[in-house]
Amino acid sequence: MFKLNLKIALRNLKRNFVISMINIGGLSIALAAFILIVLYVNYETSYDKHNPNYENIYIVGRDLKDFKTNFTPPPLAEIIEQNCPEVALVGKMTPSNLEFPLISDAGRIYIKNTMVMNFNAAKIFDLHPQGGLKQPQGEIERLYYLNEASMRTLFPNKKDSMPELVLMGGKTLGLTAPIQGKIVPNPHSNLQFDGVAIGNNLGVAEGFGFPNYYTYIQVKPGTDIKALEAKIDRLMKAGMIKEKIDMGSLKNERVFLDPLANLHLKPQAGNDTNYKVVMALFILSMLIVVIACINFTNLTIAQANKRAKEVGIKKVLGSYRQLLTMQFITEILIQCVLSMLLALMLAELFMPTFNNLFEVPLSLAAGAEELYWMLPLILLIVTFIAGVYPALILSGFKPALVLKGNFEAGLQTSWIRKGLLVVQFSIAVIFIAGILIVNRQVEYLHTEDTGFEANQVLVIKNQMMYNKPEVFATFRDKVMKINGVKSATVANVVPGGEQTGSNGYTVEGREALLDFIDVDYDYFETLGIKLKSGRTFSKEFKSDTLNAAIINETAAAKYGLLDPVGKTIRGCNIDYKIIGVIKDFKSQGFEAAVQPTIYAMKNPCGNPRLSIMLKVDAAQMSAVLAALKAQWSGINRLDGEDFRYDFLDDLYGRLFKKQEQLKAVFFTASMLTVFIAVLGLFAFAKIMTSNRRKEIAVRKVLGASDFQVLKLLNSSFLWMLLIANVLAWPLVYLLARTWLDTFAYRVELSVVPFALAGVISLLLAVITVSLQATKAVQANPAAVLKHE
Amino acid sequence: MIRIENLEKVYKTEEIETTALNGINLQVKEGEFVSIMGPSGCGKSTLLNVMGLLDKPESGSYKFMDTELLKLNDRERSNFRKANMGFVFQNFNLIDELTVFENIELPLIYNKVPAATRKAMVNEIIQRMNIVNRSGHFPQQLSGGQQQRVAVARALVTKPKLVLADEPTGNLDSSHGNEVMELLCELNEQGTTIVMVTHSSHDAGFSNRIINLKDGHVISEKINKGITEELI
Ligand SMILES: Nc1ncnc2c1ncn2[C@@H]1O[C@H](COP(=O)(O)OP(=O)(O)OP(=O)(O)O)[C@@H](O)[C@H]1O
Ligand SMILES: [Mg+2]
Repeated sequence: MFKLNLKIALRNLKRNFVISMINIGGLSIALAAFILIVLYVNYETSYDKHNPNYENIYIVGRDLKDFKTNFTPPPLAEIIEQNCPEVALVGKMTPSNLEFPLISDAGRIYIKNTMVMNFNAAKIFDLHPQGGLKQPQGEIERLYYLNEASMRTLFPNKKDSMPELVLMGGKTLGLTAPIQGKIVPNPHSNLQFDGVAIGNNLGVAEGFGFPNYYTYIQVKPGTDIKALEAKIDRLMKAGMIKEKIDMGSLKNERVFLDPLANLHLKPQAGNDTNYKVVMALFILSMLIVVIACINFTNLTIAQANKRAKEVGIKKVLGSYRQLLTMQFITEILIQCVLSMLLALMLAELFMPTFNNLFEVPLSLAAGAEELYWMLPLILLIVTFIAGVYPALILSGFKPALVLKGNFEAGLQTSWIRKGLLVVQFSIAVIFIAGILIVNRQVEYLHTEDTGFEANQVLVIKNQMMYNKPEVFATFRDKVMKINGVKSATVANVVPGGEQTGSNGYTVEGREALLDFIDVDYDYFETLGIKLKSGRTFSKEFKSDTLNAAIINETAAAKYGLLDPVGKTIRGCNIDYKIIGVIKDFKSQGFEAAVQPTIYAMKNPCGNPRLSIMLKVDAAQMSAVLAALKAQWSGINRLDGEDFRYDFLDDLYGRLFKKQEQLKAVFFTASMLTVFIAVLGLFAFAKIMTSNRRKEIAVRKVLGASDFQVLKLLNSSFLWMLLIANVLAWPLVYLLARTWLDTFAYRVELSVVPFALAGVISLLLAVITVSLQATKAVQANPAAVLKHE
Repeated sequence: MIRIENLEKVYKTEEIETTALNGINLQVKEGEFVSIMGPSGCGKSTLLNVMGLLDKPESGSYKFMDTELLKLNDRERSNFRKANMGFVFQNFNLIDELTVFENIELPLIYNKVPAATRKAMVNEIIQRMNIVNRSGHFPQQLSGGQQQRVAVARALVTKPKLVLADEPTGNLDSSHGNEVMELLCELNEQGTTIVMVTHSSHDAGFSNRIINLKDGHVISEKINKGITEELI
């Protein structure tokens, strides 16, 4: 029995080769996309899952009302350790972003991202440095480990695991440190670093006023997290009161515990955009599979005419409905299995491209555990969705009816098929309109005025802290001698996503939290930032280096100041005089709104000024770079021996990388969806016209022109398409609104993408259907009728 | 063998109701060859479909060797059908994707005949039907007469007690038609009961008895060739 049914199935596949290929091919493409995205989603949502204590690890964060941060003061760790028996381990660590060279006899590296952590933090994160995790001695000792690449550069011939000495900073500094060995950060962990320094205790000298540390806790299983959160909150406040810190803002502050599982995609101190992107992708992939299933269902039913006779005869010969249902479901299952195998091959084929795009190390083999149970499940679900309905239709044919000879299987099921087609068209329209809208927004990001000029600005990496204008003045004098350098300045951050700190500032009795940026002369000139009122920092006013401040429009608005120039703003124990107001500029990209910001040359509460920026004449850029390189050790003697730089527009461009990535994915997924939908339409039109061959022939014999017949064949599809468009538009509007709302600066939604999507979908449909219809129309009616 | 009483069948469509069978009473004895004749649309095919359990009547009784068939459910009907009945259609109704051999083999598979026996049975009937050299062909590669012979072979291979034939010669020229009729007669002589619908009095002449239908009634019965048995 099975053998004969298989033969029938295979011979049917062969006879309707194109349709079968579209069916199986479309489904495999969709499944391949699905497999890739499931692997990706799984990867993104399982950061640190390899950690044996994954479920019990939390970061302690602070909710400061205006924003949330994971930075906590260092004494908090000890206090938790002493007062919370339900916490098994308390770790603290601080990232050291100071970039400095390490030098050995064999080579030199610049180490940037060093994690300084205590022993327990290393234990919480399950770190396994070379030679095993060792407890440092006493309070002072730090155990240094470097990543593999650095170790290879510094000690290319190292075989043993003995510590090695390196020079730290410039050669002239004469500082040395022992390197214990290598450490490999798990790329699938939230904790990333180029090197690690492990000590017993950190920040001993720093009290509650120095929130510079991450505090991680590992609780004992079964701990009540809410209660622990409240307890730590009380401990924190008690500690701050004891040190008499910032009483004003205390009542607004609250401690929260954020589980390790959240940190990668949706940290409380941060945003959940990444999480949304990942979930959107997942939904996208499901939609693609749904479209492919609709195709499958529709094509199978549309071909029912050809199978009706078989069903009738089998019933006459003694088969019955359940048996036939099983037969058709088996047949569809086999096609799905084939699609799945093809899909796995496709997924493997496109894996490298996908990994490149998303910067992930996915592989079918590594993801096998999940796929092991997922793929059969998907297979069954797809078979069920795509197979059960057609199987029921096919097996339900009445033999007395179908064996009469002129049976039209389509008649009873046409509204369902039409409904499915409409759904499919709608999804396609959503994607077409989506592409258009995403494109416009990304375009906007590239062309819209950012409020400053990143072009021809060099950002020089440097270890020398230029916190004092008089020290930077000598540097400036030297570089300004180079032909082509227009201006030079230094600041604690460059526009391009780097976060600066924030502090409370008071104007006329109103306190507000402002971002502070510590600058030098010519900061606004170098970046081309426009002044709204007042003036910028100037050497003519001696007091500018002491107590002058410039605020941006948003800050002025925050205080409700109409004419801020000349007013006093107090913060960090200094009474600043506002000398100017600048126009807002988008230093954090388009996603974030401009923060209220204060710029000052003196800021005791600020951060080291390390980022040197030079505005260079475009025509002389290469000459300037060559000169800087040649003269660097003379210009900046205390710095390392290397001249290293970035272009500001490159740095700023990285802010849009995620959007670019999203665009690429969305674009690919959309094209796939539209492609599969068109493929389905193509096959559907092919079947429909072949089913109507006799009708077309008769109409032509009776005198219909080719055009009339083409119009007839197209019109039913065009109606469905119109309905699909009308259904899709509101959905597109909602989705686009939601996505655009994640940008502080965005394009306005116009009717253009909607209308365009309608026109494109209409064109696609007419071309697809006409391709098929023309063939049927051109057939010789006499031949067709004789054949019938 | 067959006793049909007061059979009624009504087709309901959106616009009208058609009474296709309107109180049919009819008996068929074992070993008989009965022809059913009548004008187009009088309900011949409907009657045959009901007798073949392919269609359900609204009311009446249909006894086959004292079993009431109208009370059976779907599964029992198909079981009964495959064990006792064979069909021949005007438009042959062979499965296009199966070869001649496979088409004939299909009912045996449904009757769960073991593979080895199956092969022997199919080969035997292929020989009898004179289509040996065609057994690997697909239906499209055969002439109409050859296709109908395959259809007859498929109806006979399970050795059914009753063969139902709906205009078996309707699509054939007279010489091919005669071949098929001779086959049916031969079969009848070996003891198979046959009920055949036909428009051709020539074909009806091969049978023992002719039943005339009009508007869903039996209007007359005629015994053929002087067969003497008493029939009601
Ligand atoms: N599926 C159906 N739906 C509605 N009416 C039907 C259906 N099948 C048959 N009929 C009607 O039932 C009546 C009997 O049809 P049937 O096919 O039994 O006629 P017939 O005697 O076989 O005619 P012919 O000699 O032309 O084959 C006809 O009036 C026909 O219109
Ligand atoms: Mg008929």
